[in-house]
Amino acid sequence: MESKFKKLKEEAIMALKAVKDKIDLESLENKILGRKSGELTDLMKELKDMNAEAKKAVGQIANEVKKEIESALEQKKRELSESDWQKSLAKEKIDITAPSLPPFERGHFHPNTIVQRDLEDLFSSMGFLILDGPELESEYYNFTAVNIPVDHPARDSQDSFYIKNHPNWLMRTQTSSVQVRAMQKYGAPLRMISPGKCFRNEATDVRHEHTFYQLEGVVIDENINFGHMKGVLEIVAKHLYGKDTEVRLRPKFYPFVEPGVNGEVTCFLCKGKGCRLCKETGWLEILGAGMIHPNVLREGDVDSKKYQGFAFGFGLTRLAMLKYGIDDIRLLESGDIRFLKQF
Amino acid sequence: MLISLSWLKKYADLPDSITPEEIAEKLKMSTVEVEKIENKAKDLENIAVGKIIKVEKHPNADKLKVCEVDVSNEKITVVCGGSNLSEGMLVALAKIGANVRWHGEGDLIELQPTKIRGVESRGMICSSIEIGLGEMFPPKEEKEILDLSFLRKDKNSFIGLPLAKALNLDDAILEIDNKSLSHRPDLWGHYGIAREVAVLFEKKLVPYAAPKIIKGKDIKLEIKVEDQKLCPRYMAVAISGVKIVESPDWLKKSLISVGMRPINNIVDITNYVMLDLGQPMHAFDAKKLIDGGRLKIIVRRAKDEEVLKMIDGNEHKIYSSMLVIADENKPLALAGVMGGKNSEVNETTETVVFESANFDASVIRKTSVKLGLRTDASMRFEKSLDPNLCETALRRAVELALDLCPGAKVASAVEDVSDFILPVGPIKIPLDVFGKKIGVEIPAKIIIDILQRLGFEVKTNKDILSVKIPTWRATKDISVAEDLVEEVLRIYGYHRAPSQSPFFSIIPPEISGIGKLEREIKNTLVGRLNFTEAYNYSFVSLRDIEEIEDEVEKYIELDSPLSKDRPFVRRNLVINLLGNLKKNIEYCDEIRLFETGKTYLMEEPGARTSAKDDELLPRQDTWLTLVYASKKDKMPFTQARKALETIDDCLGCDFEISAEPSPKKWQHPERAAVVKKDGEEIGCVYEINPLTGEKFGLEVRIGVLELNLNKLSEKGIKAKTYSTISEYPEAVRDIAFIVKKEISHAEIFSAISGNVHLLKEIKLFDVYEGEKIGQGYKSMAYRFVFGDISKTLTAGEVDEARNKASRILEETFGAEVRR
Repeated sequence: MESKFKKLKEEAIMALKAVKDKIDLESLENKILGRKSGELTDLMKELKDMNAEAKKAVGQIANEVKKEIESALEQKKRELSESDWQKSLAKEKIDITAPSLPPFERGHFHPNTIVQRDLEDLFSSMGFLILDGPELESEYYNFTAVNIPVDHPARDSQDSFYIKNHPNWLMRTQTSSVQVRAMQKYGAPLRMISPGKCFRNEATDVRHEHTFYQLEGVVIDENINFGHMKGVLEIVAKHLYGKDTEVRLRPKFYPFVEPGVNGEVTCFLCKGKGCRLCKETGWLEILGAGMIHPNVLREGDVDSKKYQGFAFGFGLTRLAMLKYGIDDIRLLESGDIRFLKQF
Repeated sequence: MLISLSWLKKYADLPDSITPEEIAEKLKMSTVEVEKIENKAKDLENIAVGKIIKVEKHPNADKLKVCEVDVSNEKITVVCGGSNLSEGMLVALAKIGANVRWHGEGDLIELQPTKIRGVESRGMICSSIEIGLGEMFPPKEEKEILDLSFLRKDKNSFIGLPLAKALNLDDAILEIDNKSLSHRPDLWGHYGIAREVAVLFEKKLVPYAAPKIIKGKDIKLEIKVEDQKLCPRYMAVAISGVKIVESPDWLKKSLISVGMRPINNIVDITNYVMLDLGQPMHAFDAKKLIDGGRLKIIVRRAKDEEVLKMIDGNEHKIYSSMLVIADENKPLALAGVMGGKNSEVNETTETVVFESANFDASVIRKTSVKLGLRTDASMRFEKSLDPNLCETALRRAVELALDLCPGAKVASAVEDVSDFILPVGPIKIPLDVFGKKIGVEIPAKIIIDILQRLGFEVKTNKDILSVKIPTWRATKDISVAEDLVEEVLRIYGYHRAPSQSPFFSIIPPEISGIGKLEREIKNTLVGRLNFTEAYNYSFVSLRDIEEIEDEVEKYIELDSPLSKDRPFVRRNLVINLLGNLKKNIEYCDEIRLFETGKTYLMEEPGARTSAKDDELLPRQDTWLTLVYASKKDKMPFTQARKALETIDDCLGCDFEISAEPSPKKWQHPERAAVVKKDGEEIGCVYEINPLTGEKFGLEVRIGVLELNLNKLSEKGIKAKTYSTISEYPEAVRDIAFIVKKEISHAEIFSAISGNVHLLKEIKLFDVYEGEKIGQGYKSMAYRFVFGDISKTLTAGEVDEARNKASRILEETFGAEVRR
């Protein structure tokens, strides 16, 4: 009896070796382990006629044989399955170098919008109002209110787009026109920025454009000083160009501030070592600023004895051009999709 | 403006250890913009005067020569291709280490020893353009080397001398950006810059010596100033016995070094004094002014259309807004701008009249702008010069004239017609104001010291300073306490004010409704609908307005724009977007573009022109306008409408769309609708009339959506609310039917809505027109959703509701419902 089991096992293992596919394996499994007439099943049935002692001894062997056959079958099954998959996966080969189809389409923001939003978000997070103002503006808000005297060259008609038959109206030349409007509306203390479109009457070329964008900012409160201005400008500079960016302030005359500064930041391209972008100086001029002139506060009905403040202006167009390396300013208002879709 | 360092050093006691770069840097950080430093001595380092002692043919090249050059302490062999080489010639020899620009092009290159066709060459015989002297010594032909043989005329031997020294080029010239000087009338001459530099380096300023003029009696000079507002001071003096000759070398060299061409001794003196002090001067030939023994100078307004020939040879028509210097018969000079030809100093001149005057800045500026004549004089006068300068300048000019012309003497009294008061203060400023404005305490001693060195007179009374403004800063530059804070801070150093973080209350900023709306709409268009944002000018052309057949007379017009192609201010964003389409359609099959921006409507009221004035600016609302075009899409209205629906759904706008005839000729008459919110018109959605498109050269059909964001934002946007989700299933039934084509969805929708029990939602999902349906008819399919919040509907209830809907369709519209 015992030898019968062993023989069955050997035969089964031999037969398994010859099995080539799942169908052979199934019939072999059925032939040995089939519930009705499997060879092993039949042999096991013979066990019940034996006496208890023999039954115990042979039964143990029978179980071992069964286990071994079962595990051999299982292993064969796995082998066959693996090789099956390998064959079918090979047929699933695709060109992974091809881009996804149909071609991917997306919309695009104008680069100026991207730069403007970035700064709006920064200033909003510091509690600044975001304000808008008329683009077709009065001479008063554009010039007089911000302390630009009547005979100042900036007022010359060849520099500004004045409006026909309305000699005191013009397309604003700077977002500073919003300063006094904001003071009159909100009073002090005040924290605001005003991004927007500005105009200068000049011929266009690669570096000159009669339409461009600025971002004006005003902070007015009790005890605001020059150091605070520097602090805020540093926050902006580090936000734009990284935490190692430094700000350098130099005197610059603007009628609406006193003292007035011209603000430069460490060139982001060369990190201040000097390169073509910064004309070998290591610095990029990106802003004008200063402590608000008392005449301007007065126009805005702000008590200049109690309050002081600072104002600053960034050239958004310039920031966008620097950020993306745009070398022709006219592209920004060209509506050329080949340009716009790059952002 | 060019500033010579050696000239500067006559007045500011600067040691040689301070480099031009250091001076430029300090000026940049505290005073003015220095654009560059021309330092020829540095540029010409390692270049010396050499003498060619031998020229031989190059053994391996026809066009090259091998030269031996003597540079005093050594003899150097150089291979050279110059066309004018000869033995005995003096040349500029660049030694190893010198920086040269090959053939005057490309970057500077440091000379290295090299072999040229097998012959060792240890230097270079240069042409003028290779060492930056092309302007001084323009070469006549390409291969000509710089011939320095003229140097031999001098007794000294130049051989071996550094080139810069041999050519007197060992001065550094600072180029100052004029724009950065516009508010500083005191800085338009060397003495003014010297004063500033002396302060910056804490060095002594040499007092300006100008001896008093001892008056003469030979000539009676009469001055009449008609309008003293426009000419606060006019000084003049006659000098006789002058001989007009070339100026001495020192004077010519000084002028050339800062870019001024020498003319003759008298003219050079006036120019020198101007460059020295910043006070423009003029010299008249006295004999051309004398009339019957009287020498009378009148400062008056010009007569309209008077003609004056200037010393530059051009005739100008002048006007009464301008000021002239005249005798009793004729204008002699355009005051503060340029002298006239008729009174010019020339070689026949024996007596000159020096003018040193002060003119109103704004008159000079307007004159110079109007005539397009920007001169060294006008540039200075338009900055508001100190009238006190007139006297110093005149004294200095007379001193120089007497010095340069041995036979000259003062022939008249010094005439001085003046009427001016300068607001020199004092300004009272409490000491603590400096700390409050700057954010750091600067010791009183330093504050006072800085102000005094700048020329302010400072008195201290307890903690209050009383500061008197020097006249050269009083004309417009300094007038309030803040100006003094700036003076102190810029000298103290902007970098020394520590940056600080301001403390603010934590009240969050008010959010601008329109700003938020604009942002969300842009996000929707770009993020969901693949639209691209364009920026366009606010200006449009006449042709474009005519092509869309809009009313030109309503457009606001610019006054004399420089670029004349777009002289009108836009009333809509469509025109420029159509231009964008035209530009892009060549290389795009489909275009989705939008812009947000202002329009300008003259007939509607906008913001006030000032708080004190009732005048109102034109209304300037922000609009969103989008255009869609595809070469394959013959009905782009759908896409424009889809954009509207998407915005509506994302933002919760609750737009109403109504078909109303539009007066706008550029809109398709049958494919245009008005967009309303709460009954008010806030925009429109339409197709461009193909006729308009054709005029623009656009064959493609175009869908447009326009929304007025100001109006939309005023209406406010409803917050989204939740409605309970029914626990019981809903029943869906589709109904398809055929109706006459002219019956609109809106009519069907309103007939059904509210009139069918249990109906929760009704949605159009298909429209078909075509042969199968028959002409004049269309097939429409709606999805009906029925439901009850409290129970599951029975089949009977649903069928009854569905039948009700069908009945309405049949009875109201004669619809043929498909069963």
